[in-house]
Amino acid sequence: MNDSNDTEQIVTTVCHDHCTSACVLKLHVKGGVITRVETDDGEYPQYRCCVRGRAFRQYVHHPDRLKYPLKRTGPRGEGKFERISWDEALETIASQLKRIKDSYGASSIILLPSGGDMGWLNNGGLIDRVLVRLGGYTGVLGTVSNEGTWFSCMATYGVPNVRASSSHDSLLDSRLIIMWGWNPVVTRMYMHTHRHLAQIKKAGIRVISVDPRYTETAALLANQWIPIKPGTDAAMMAAMAHVMITENLHDQSFLNKHTVGFDKYRDYVLGIEDGTPKTPAWAQAITGVPAATIVNLAREYATTKPAALVDGFAPARSAFGEQFNRAAATLAAMTGNIGIPGGSTCISPGVFPVSLGAFPASTMKGGDNPVHLAAPLRKNSVFYQRVSLGLQGVTGARFYVGGPTTAHLNRVQVADAILRGRSGGYPADYKMLYMVTINWLNQYANTNRIAEALKKLEFVVAQEQFMTPTAKFADIVLPTNTIAERNDVTIGFGFPLYGSMNKAIDSIGESKSQFEIAQGLAAKLGFSDFVEKTEEEWMREIIGKCPDIPDYETFKKEGFRKVKPSKSYVAFEEQIKDPSKNRFSTPSGKIEIFSQDIADMNNSKLPPIPKYVESWESLNDPLAKRYPLQLITTHYFRRTHSKFDNIPWLKELEPQAVTMHTSDASARGIKDGDMVRVFNDRGQMIIPAFVTERIMPGVVEIPEGAKFDPDENGVDRGGCPNVLTRDEPSPGGAFAGNTALVQVEKA
Amino acid sequence: MQMGFFFDQTLCVNCRACVVACKDWHNVPAGPASYIRISTVEKGRYPDVSVHSMFGSCYHCAEPACVAACPVGAITKRAEDGIVVVDRETCLGKGKCDLCRQVCPYDAPQFGAEPNARMQKCQFCLDRLAENKQPICVGACIMQALDAGPIEQLKAKYGDIIQAEGFSYSEKAVPSIVFNPKKDAKGRVVSRIVVSPQKSQ
Repeated sequence: MNDSNDTEQIVTTVCHDHCTSACVLKLHVKGGVITRVETDDGEYPQYRCCVRGRAFRQYVHHPDRLKYPLKRTGPRGEGKFERISWDEALETIASQLKRIKDSYGASSIILLPSGGDMGWLNNGGLIDRVLVRLGGYTGVLGTVSNEGTWFSCMATYGVPNVRASSSHDSLLDSRLIIMWGWNPVVTRMYMHTHRHLAQIKKAGIRVISVDPRYTETAALLANQWIPIKPGTDAAMMAAMAHVMITENLHDQSFLNKHTVGFDKYRDYVLGIEDGTPKTPAWAQAITGVPAATIVNLAREYATTKPAALVDGFAPARSAFGEQFNRAAATLAAMTGNIGIPGGSTCISPGVFPVSLGAFPASTMKGGDNPVHLAAPLRKNSVFYQRVSLGLQGVTGARFYVGGPTTAHLNRVQVADAILRGRSGGYPADYKMLYMVTINWLNQYANTNRIAEALKKLEFVVAQEQFMTPTAKFADIVLPTNTIAERNDVTIGFGFPLYGSMNKAIDSIGESKSQFEIAQGLAAKLGFSDFVEKTEEEWMREIIGKCPDIPDYETFKKEGFRKVKPSKSYVAFEEQIKDPSKNRFSTPSGKIEIFSQDIADMNNSKLPPIPKYVESWESLNDPLAKRYPLQLITTHYFRRTHSKFDNIPWLKELEPQAVTMHTSDASARGIKDGDMVRVFNDRGQMIIPAFVTERIMPGVVEIPEGAKFDPDENGVDRGGCPNVLTRDEPSPGGAFAGNTALVQVEKA
Repeated sequence: MQMGFFFDQTLCVNCRACVVACKDWHNVPAGPASYIRISTVEKGRYPDVSVHSMFGSCYHCAEPACVAACPVGAITKRAEDGIVVVDRETCLGKGKCDLCRQVCPYDAPQFGAEPNARMQKCQFCLDRLAENKQPICVGACIMQALDAGPIEQLKAKYGDIIQAEGFSYSEKAVPSIVFNPKKDAKGRVVSRIVVSPQKSQ
């Protein structure tokens, strides 16, 4: 495995990262160093890795990898640290945990884990187990990725999006695919994604892209591009419904049989409810999409069957974004395209039934979090209670056991909670933050405000592989190893592939796995029985009785095992085929166009039927006079969120830039490649402009994940879009990363 | 026999896995040398646009201009498979000679950032060829848009189209590549071309 000799060995392993995918890597190892990377060259379908996997050895062997535990010596954020021993680092953390718990209570400690380093064994759940034994902590709730979609699917279908999506190959049965805010060429999600996209292309299936950008996927597949203003999607969908209803194109028998609340939506669309018919002309003024285009799309969608309206996560990552996925689900129901091959519900990875043992962190001793148990349930916790039921043993659902409580913080509000505490209406004053592979400052809304919050805390811990902009604010930084330096298991986010994440080399420097770190911290806190099993014992237990894996040794040697599902997975097929026997998991047992759960939340900005709710920082906002451009923040091919941003082979492929339309650029005297200042009241950056015809005028795009790199005046030179985004969650919980007004000028 | 490439332009999504796989396999650092570059041709005006990617590499021309131009005979064309190879020991280096780069219609000769860098370029992954394996870029393509092998076989399999957006066929050099071109029926005007990794000036 990791013999330090001169013969080259090839270690087959699976890269599972925060892209959600899981792809095969064949690592050539010589003298303890990865020298080359190959990918799956075996039987088809091959799970070929992406450009980031190709650069994997520059990640693992990057000179900036953290090699030793570090103690901060300068002001928070400045990045001055000194090397300390593991013993001192863990002792410091243990004594600070005890001090802060004793002085302020366990709720003053926040645990913030994320997906910077994930496996079945190694994940943020391990520190959860340590802190729960100590007396608990304040947990976070929701996902920054797709909370709007998650909320929408829970309300509409009764399950989260990871259980509400058909497998992507079911798109091959479609006669029409409408990609709405979906760019799978870059977001991928699934190691089959590109193969299916190629199949869609070769099959000549008609594809329409509704998106402010002419995306890579539009370039590959789209027969038609319909640019739309960010934040207005639900208006266009209401107008499409208006066309279908007034022309009687909708499938009334499907709606009668499988849904509740269509009559209320119809009244809204026709203007019976509020006096405003949601006509294509009405929508044109809001969306920038010509009325005739809306009419044609509505007719085409309603009369082509099966048709898949694939509503992505991105449009729901906006103010009131949950309305987007709810409206898309309603259109899918109106056209009878739910539960049939080639139809659609939403898009998400994760449909493969898992036959692995539970996450070790879900089964380790310690019980539930006392801080959460002591707090009342949240008003909308019904959504998460159903989540817990649907996902037990699949994800770190332990974080929400019993449903989220009033003690949980929305992920988007953590900075606000730290800055304002009890006086701001939060249930505690927060003094300590424990972060596990999360580049919080960079990847969450309103970077400058997060920096303020990080400065206010008494003690901050970061487990990281690199000195991220966030880790610079930590008091103690613990160097975490990578998937190449330890053993683990993965199925991606739920794919027909079992991956043995095999150790290929020894840990870089003194870095340790998350499992080792949790063990070490538990020992310092006196939890001597924390080590229930060794890494290998856990591996054997996880694989356990999995019928698809013959035995542990063969699995490890081969590195992965593909499973061929007998057919494509069609979400809700049973419910549609035989609704009397198979109810949806919603309160009504049907698809809920009207949701009583939402009505009970009693929020005028969160209507129980999907409506167009004008976003904050829309173009009608007085703020638009100063900041007339709508910013969207997108996934980027050469990074997984902020990971891989520092990899030379990837960095040279393209500079981080703000993409803007030729007309917006020329109106500002900006030429392609010019350095420009992008700014609003929350922050500013100076980066190059990428001037193109591929984006809607009035919209600018900055891909997420570039490293926040403030100069002496606080101007970000790295191009981190979250210096511009707003840290107010949508009422459905979403991070509104695609709702922000900015201005651009020549720097 | 002449080795060559097939590139399905309708499938390329500009992901650049081929570029980095090549750099990894041949241990080419980030910098001015890159055996593969992808150029993206943007055409038309908003909202009527189209985008065409092109795989740029050494195409192992039947009549390679570089071989004729090299003053010291460092570049040769192998008789057995037509692969154009360079003897870096013999090459005079960037500081003394730049002729191959000047005459190549496809910017195939590459020079690193080191002092008096010797020419390097795609050699069809000779080490892999010896093991009967395809060049690393072919298996790296997540869209399976690339193929490589004897050009006559590729023509038989994919057709003999030698023109595509972003490529200019040189009658003189006779490059060994065939395409499934992405057509632009509307004949839109080119609005910009992006090359990645960028060429150093």
